[in-house]
Amino acid sequence: MNKTLFFIVAWLGLSFCPVYAEMSADEAAQKASHIAYYQGKDGRSSVTMVVTDAQGRTRERQMTILRFNIQDNGDQKYYVYFYKPNDVKGMSYIVWKHPDRDDDRWLYLPALDLVRRIAASDKRSSFAGTNFLYEDVSGRSVALDAHEMLPGDEKYYVLKNTPKDEAQVEFSYYKIWIDKNNFVPVKAEYYDKEGKLYRTIEALEVKDIQGHPTIVKMKASDLNSGAFTVADFSDVAYDIGITDDIFTERYLRNPPSQWIKG
Amino acid sequence: MKKPFAIWMAACLAWAATGSLASAEWQALGGFMEEAFGYRASDDNLTKHKSFDMAEQRLQLKDQYSFDGEGLLSRWRSVLRFKGDFTVDEYFAGETDFELREANISLTPASFMDIKAGRQVLTWGTGDYLFINDVFPKDYESFYIGRDDEYLKKPSDAVKLSFYPKAVNVDLIVIPYFTPNTMPEGQRLSFFDSFEGGIAGKSSDRFLVSPGWQPENFEYAGRFYRNFSDTEAAVYLYRGFDKIARSYKDEAAHQLYYERQDVFGASLRGPFAGGIGNIEGGYFYSPEDPKGDNRLIQNSMAKFMIGYEKDLGHDLKIGFQYFYEQTLDYGAYKAALLPQDFFWDEYYHLLTQRITKLFKNQTVAVSFFNFYSPSDQDGYVRFSVSYDMTDQWKIVMGANIPWGQGEQTTFAQMKKDKNIYVRLRYSF
Repeated sequence: MNKTLFFIVAWLGLSFCPVYAEMSADEAAQKASHIAYYQGKDGRSSVTMVVTDAQGRTRERQMTILRFNIQDNGDQKYYVYFYKPNDVKGMSYIVWKHPDRDDDRWLYLPALDLVRRIAASDKRSSFAGTNFLYEDVSGRSVALDAHEMLPGDEKYYVLKNTPKDEAQVEFSYYKIWIDKNNFVPVKAEYYDKEGKLYRTIEALEVKDIQGHPTIVKMKASDLNSGAFTVADFSDVAYDIGITDDIFTERYLRNPPSQWIKG
Repeated sequence: MKKPFAIWMAACLAWAATGSLASAEWQALGGFMEEAFGYRASDDNLTKHKSFDMAEQRLQLKDQYSFDGEGLLSRWRSVLRFKGDFTVDEYFAGETDFELREANISLTPASFMDIKAGRQVLTWGTGDYLFINDVFPKDYESFYIGRDDEYLKKPSDAVKLSFYPKAVNVDLIVIPYFTPNTMPEGQRLSFFDSFEGGIAGKSSDRFLVSPGWQPENFEYAGRFYRNFSDTEAAVYLYRGFDKIARSYKDEAAHQLYYERQDVFGASLRGPFAGGIGNIEGGYFYSPEDPKGDNRLIQNSMAKFMIGYEKDLGHDLKIGFQYFYEQTLDYGAYKAALLPQDFFWDEYYHLLTQRITKLFKNQTVAVSFFNFYSPSDQDGYVRFSVSYDMTDQWKIVMGANIPWGQGEQTTFAQMKKDKNIYVRLRYSF
């Protein structure tokens, strides 16, 4: 009798185990974050962001972004060099991203030859006046949210992410859709404190680059204002040999010409 | 009105010339056109014009050339940079001018070394509109009438060598040709003139004597800096001249000059209490008056400042600074004064506060910067609103309001120079 029970339990366990073990919410969130922000040891991409307001007027931002991983899924360094709009052309920007505390940021203003240290505790402010936020560009730490698996479908995991510290953010929770094949986060929906959907981010095009599934076109929409921003990523390359020293004052003042064409 | 036409022609020719040289390595020519007007908001009969203090058109052109191919300059990753401003100044009856702001070459002859030679803007230090170890030339006239912040800094003709060994980074600068600060001098902005015994305008007949162009007058500046974790530390050295003519050459002839000055300083900057903190100090040695007992020459001084900036979220930033200055050997200076001399206080305290807020997806910037000196009982309010109408068009409106009781102190002497300005810029 005991043996039979054991057999039944074991059988049930074995058969259900793959379902439960298939993917925990935390694991899915971690994998999606890795795919979106940590592939390769380093990377480069040319980014064009077109902001369209509710009246249909457009503004354009153009930049090259260099990325360097200090730790996989941990600290990273970013270098951003602006080409457009014309009045910010030549500005460069360095971020030392720390998932567990405030980032370190420096901005170089070439007209003044000034390296300014940026006080930046608000990671949820607009990136360069677009509908993307700093956290969309450099990634939100997985540890900042509690993740819960919602019923998905064949193609996507759906996660509900609730911030552990609500005071730090403008949303009450957000949902993300993660492609089961490659863990690319293809859509995010942000809900405000009243539970109303107010902001979405969508991957419009995903390409395989050097074996890494890569979002090459994405869109951030502000549903309250009707404005949206489409970002195109071109010349994407991974593991191009970027070194740690690029993310210092030397190269802030003098953009590294092997990766950035003035 | 023929002169402005000539300037625009010259600008077009310059454009055409760079165009004909154009190869893949030349970047597209960029720059802006700007129209600026400043309305004088206080009664001032002393300056050239009563009703305005700025009315000018400006065309800035800039370009850069990156050496490509196999030559030495390419291997050294050399870049040539040019930037110049053509201006038509209606304040001086449509006077035209060309100011070369940058003409320099950057080279990396070794992996641990950079060189930048030619006309360039030089900046270091940690203050926000306050400077201790940044001893490079500035244009305070532009600052007070509301030109873009870019024009607060004047270019220097210099060679800058930078070294990057592991332990500490080093910048060494040699400036063969002295450039003084541009200070109010009476035509456009009234100021305190000790020869006139009060606030003076266009009647001021001071003569400012610059050091001559000779090897012993070369200026030398050095900075040694490195990070300790996320805190930036720097030590600064400078041998040169005061950038403001504060010492008397010949009292009878109303001559002032830029006395010799050596500066030794240091700074720290890093994350502090949820924001960015900075601290900077400097000892200003006056080699021509080491004991401080010469009433005609500026004494040695000690300067110190501490600052804090914080991001409050929602594109709102605030900042505070405290600045302290002490005239050294003050007893000797006081004892040497003659009865009729104007004199300066031993201690100077200054507080500043900044609020910057961005609106409408960061296209509107409102900035409020306030200087206040409790020791001098004077201050200066800088306010501006800028709006990026499109990626090309930008409009800036602002006000400059210096105020104070006396006539002699930093901001009180400028109290007749209050203005309200507007600038319209097209960038390309």
